[in-house]
Amino acid sequence: MQIEITPSVKNLGQKNLGGVVMYRITDKKDLSPIDYFIEVEAPHVAKAWKPGQFVIFITHEKGERIPMSVYKAEDGKIGMFIRKLGKTTLELYHEFDVGDTLWSITGPLGKAIEVKDYGNVVFASDAVCGHAENHATLKAMKEAGNYTISIQSFEDKENVYPEKFLAKSVADEYYLTTQDGSMGIKGDFLDVIKGLIENDKVDIIFAGGNLGTLAQLAELTRPYGIPTITTIRQIMVDGTGMCGSCRILYDGKIRFACRDGPMFDAHKVDWEDVIRRGKRFLELEKRARERYLQRLNEKHGKEVF
Amino acid sequence: MAKIIKERIPTPERSVDERVKSFAEVNLGYTFELAQKEAARCIQCPYDFAPCIKGCPVHINIPAFISKIKEGDIKEALRIIWNDNTLPAITGRVCPQEDQCEGACVVGKVGTAVNIGKLERFVADYAREQGIDKELLEEELKKIEPKDGKIAIVGSGPAGLTAAGELAKMGYKVTIFEALHLPGGVLIYGIPEFRLPKEILKVELEKLKKLGVEVKTDYLVGRTVTLEELCEEYDAVFIGTGAGTPKLLNLPGILLDRIYSANEFLTRVNLMKAYQFPEYDTPIGVGKKTIVIGAGNTAMDAARSALRLGSDVTIAYRRGKEDMTARIEEIHHAEEEGVKFEFFLNPVEFIGNENHKVKAVKFEKMKPLEEKDKRGKRKIVGTGEYVTLEADTVIIAIGLEPNKIITESKGLKVNPNGTLVVDETLMTSIPGVFAGGDAIRGEATVILAMGDGKRAAESIHRYIESKKGA
Ligand SMILES: Cc1cc2nc3c(=O)[nH]c(=O)nc-3n(C[C@H](O)[C@H](O)[C@H](O)COP(=O)(O)OP(=O)(O)OC[C@H]3O[C@@H](n4cnc5c(N)ncnc54)[C@H](O)[C@@H]3O)c2cc1C
Ligand SMILES: Cc1cc2nc3c(=O)[nH]c(=O)nc-3n(C[C@H](O)[C@H](O)[C@H](O)COP(=O)(O)OP(=O)(O)OC[C@H]3O[C@@H](n4cnc5c(N)ncnc54)[C@H](O)[C@@H]3O)c2cc1C
Ligand code: SF4
Ligand code: SF4
Ligand code: FES
Repeated sequence: MQIEITPSVKNLGQKNLGGVVMYRITDKKDLSPIDYFIEVEAPHVAKAWKPGQFVIFITHEKGERIPMSVYKAEDGKIGMFIRKLGKTTLELYHEFDVGDTLWSITGPLGKAIEVKDYGNVVFASDAVCGHAENHATLKAMKEAGNYTISIQSFEDKENVYPEKFLAKSVADEYYLTTQDGSMGIKGDFLDVIKGLIENDKVDIIFAGGNLGTLAQLAELTRPYGIPTITTIRQIMVDGTGMCGSCRILYDGKIRFACRDGPMFDAHKVDWEDVIRRGKRFLELEKRARERYLQRLNEKHGKEVF
Repeated sequence: MAKIIKERIPTPERSVDERVKSFAEVNLGYTFELAQKEAARCIQCPYDFAPCIKGCPVHINIPAFISKIKEGDIKEALRIIWNDNTLPAITGRVCPQEDQCEGACVVGKVGTAVNIGKLERFVADYAREQGIDKELLEEELKKIEPKDGKIAIVGSGPAGLTAAGELAKMGYKVTIFEALHLPGGVLIYGIPEFRLPKEILKVELEKLKKLGVEVKTDYLVGRTVTLEELCEEYDAVFIGTGAGTPKLLNLPGILLDRIYSANEFLTRVNLMKAYQFPEYDTPIGVGKKTIVIGAGNTAMDAARSALRLGSDVTIAYRRGKEDMTARIEEIHHAEEEGVKFEFFLNPVEFIGNENHKVKAVKFEKMKPLEEKDKRGKRKIVGTGEYVTLEADTVIIAIGLEPNKIITESKGLKVNPNGTLVVDETLMTSIPGVFAGGDAIRGEATVILAMGDGKRAAESIHRYIESKKGA
C-alpha cells in the first residue's frame, strides 16, 4: 500500500505547519438556487471510499464537524452536493473558492453498501444528499450487473440540477419528478415507486433525502416485503462511534448511525425519533445562521441570501 | 533526622467565584519557592525502600527528583522524571496520586503525603517556561541513531504518544494515525481546559514533531486504511485506540433531547469549543438544571463543565460517597464549585415534556449490602422505592468501552468486554501488532496508558531486532 503525503498540514493543531497545501477546493458549481457542487482534494479518503459511506469536513479552525454524502471519489478528489442551509454550508458557499483549503476531511465513514447482483435496483432521492448517493450507488450497482432504476424528485423546474449532475447516465431507467409538475412527472418518488411495484419491477430499493418521505417509503414497501435501505441523517460530532450523538433506535436497540449506518433497513427504524432528533439544536443553529447572514450582508452592503 | 513537617504546602488556586465563570485552569501550581518548601517535606527514603516509587505505575525515582528540586537543579529533576515518564506536565495534573505515589508516601502516615503530583507538575511547568525542556530534548536528539524500521501507531492518546516518542528516540521512523482532526485522545477531547490546558498538550506534540514523528490526523484506521494495509506497509503496528465508545442506558426516554453521553457533551465543549458558541460553530444546549449520572472522572468533568455553562448541577450515583472513582481533588473542586451529590440512586426512566425535551429522571433508591464485589466495592440492591428528580439536561457518564471500528479488524482477538487480547509483551493475536492503554484495559488511567506505550515500544524494538536476526 502506498500512503499519500500527509493531509495533516495542520498536523499539530496548527494550520499549514508544513507549508503543504491540502484539502484544496478544485471545483465549485451551482446545482440549483439552493444546492451546490464542491470538489476537494482528499486522496486518503477518495482512495478508500465506497458507495454508502460519507465524510466529515471542517471548514476552518472554529468550524463544526459536518457530515456529507459523496457524489463521487476520483483522482484523489471528493465531490459533494451541498445544500445552503445554515451557518457552515452558507459560509462554505460564500467565503470559499476554488484554490482555498478546508481545514479537515475525515473518511470514509460508516459502512459501505453491499454491492452485488440484486436484479432490479431502484435508487430514489428527493433532496441533496440523496441525489449525490443516487448517482454514486447506481454507478456501482450497474457495474455489478444490476438493472438500475433512478428516480430523482425536485421542488420545481428551477431546482432541477444540470443534466450532467443527474443520475441519468448510470440508470437503465430514469424518472424525474417535480412537486408542481413543471418538469417531468408531477409528484414525488413515492408515486413512481408505487407504479414500479405494481409492475413487479423492484428487487431492492435504496433511498436518500427528506426523512419524512423516507419514513413514508418505509410504510409503502413494508406490506410487500421489499428490502428498503435508506440513509439516516442524524446530528453527528465525531462520526467514529465515540459520542453517541447520532444514536437511533433500530429494532429496539441503540445503534450509532455513523458507525453502524448511515444506511439502514427502513423497516426497522424508529422514524419518529429520527426525524425529531434532527431538530435538537434548532434554536442555536438559527442564531448562528442569522449572525452569519448579518455579517455577510454587511460585507456586501446588500442582502446576499 | 529533621522533624517531619506534617502539613503540605498548599498550591495556589483560582477563587471559586472566578472558576465557575471560566474554563481557565483551577490549580495554579507551585512557584519555585513553594515547590522547594514542599520538596523539603520529603524525608528521602532510600531507593530500594521508597514506597512512593513502588506506588507509581511507571516507577519514577521520586526521592531523586525531589532532592534536585531542593537543590534548585530543575534540569536534573526533569532528566530523572523523563527516564520513566515523558509527559510529567500531564500526569502531574491528572494522575490519581492518592491511590498511587502519594497514597504510599510514608509522610502520609503521620500527616499529609508529600505533594508528589504537584511537584512533578512544577518541574515540567518550570522547565517549559524556562526552556529547560528544550535543552534536554536537544541533548536527547543528539543521541538518536537512526534505525531501519517503520512503525505505525494507531490513536494519539497518551498510549500512542508515549509509544511514538519512545520509538522515535530509539531511532525508528514513526507515523501516528489519528481519527480525529487533532491529536491527543482523551487529553484533547475529554479532559477540560480547566484541568489540563490544551497549550500543555500542544508543547508535548511539538516535542514529538522534533523527534521526527509524523502525525496523520483525519485517518480512521479500519475505514481510511485497514489494519492489514498498515501491516503490509510498516514493520510493526501499535494500537492505542482507547476506550472511546460511551455506554448508554437503554432506558425509556433515552432518545429525548438534551440527554447527552458525557463524551458527546465533553467533545462538543472541549474539542469543538462549544463553550465559545457562536464564535465557534458547534452548539451545545444546556438548561438550568443538569443531572449527571455516574461518579468517575468523566462525570466530574461533565458536571463542572455544565456548571461553567450556567447550569445548576447534581451528580446522581447508584453507590455511596466512598465508592466514587474520580480523583479526590476533582470531587473536592466539584463540591467547592457547588455541584450537588445524590447517592444510592439508580436511573430507571427519563421523562420528557411535550417537546420531547427531558424534564425529569426517575430513579430507584438503592441500598448497600455488607458483601463486596470483585472490585472491593459494597454490592447494592434496589429498595423498590422511587424518586423523581427534575432536570432539563442529563449527562450520562456510566462508562466507556473500546471502539469497535479497529477491534473488528481481521485476525484481531477480542475479549468478551471488547478489549484486545495481548500477551505479556503486549503483542496482539496478529504478529507484529501490539496494543496498550484503554484498548486493552478498558477505562483506566493516563499513566497506565503511558506505561503500556513505553513497554510496547520496547517489545516492538525486540520484535524488529529478532526479525532481522532471523
Ligand atoms: C450521513 C449524512 C450525510 C449527509 N449528506 C449531506 C449531503 O450530501 N448534502 C447536504 O447538503 N447535507 C448533508 N447532510 C446534512 C449536513 O450535515 C447538514 O446539512 C449540515 O451539517 C448543516 O450545517 P449548517 O451549519 O449549514 O446548518 P445548521 O444550521 O447547523 O443545521 C441545519 C440542520 O442540519 C442538520 N445538522 C446540523 N448539524 C449537523 C451535524 N453536525 N450533523 C448532521 N446534521 C446536522 C440539523 O438537522 C440542522 O437542523 C448529511 C448528514 C449526514 C448525517
Ligand atoms: C472525561 C475523562 C476524564 C478522565 N480523567 C482522567 C484523569 O483525571 N486521570 C487519569 O489518569 N485518567 C483519566 N481519564 C482516563 C484516561 O483519559 C484514559 O485512560 C487514557 O486517555 C487512555 O489513553 P489511550 O491512549 O489508551 O486512549 P485515548 O486517550 O482514548 O486515545 C485514543 C485515541 O485513538 C483514536 N482512535 C480510536 N479509534 C481509532 C481508529 N480506528 N483509527 C485511528 N484513531 C483511532 C481516538 O480518536 C483517540 O484520539 C479520563 C477519561 C475521560 C473520558
Ligand atoms: S506519574 Fe503519576 S503516579 Fe507516578 S509519580 Fe507522577 S503523579 Fe505519581
Ligand atoms: S515515600 Fe514520601 S517521603 Fe519517602 S521518598 Fe517518597 S515522597 Fe519522599
Ligand atoms: S457521531 Fe459520534 S458516535 Fe456517531
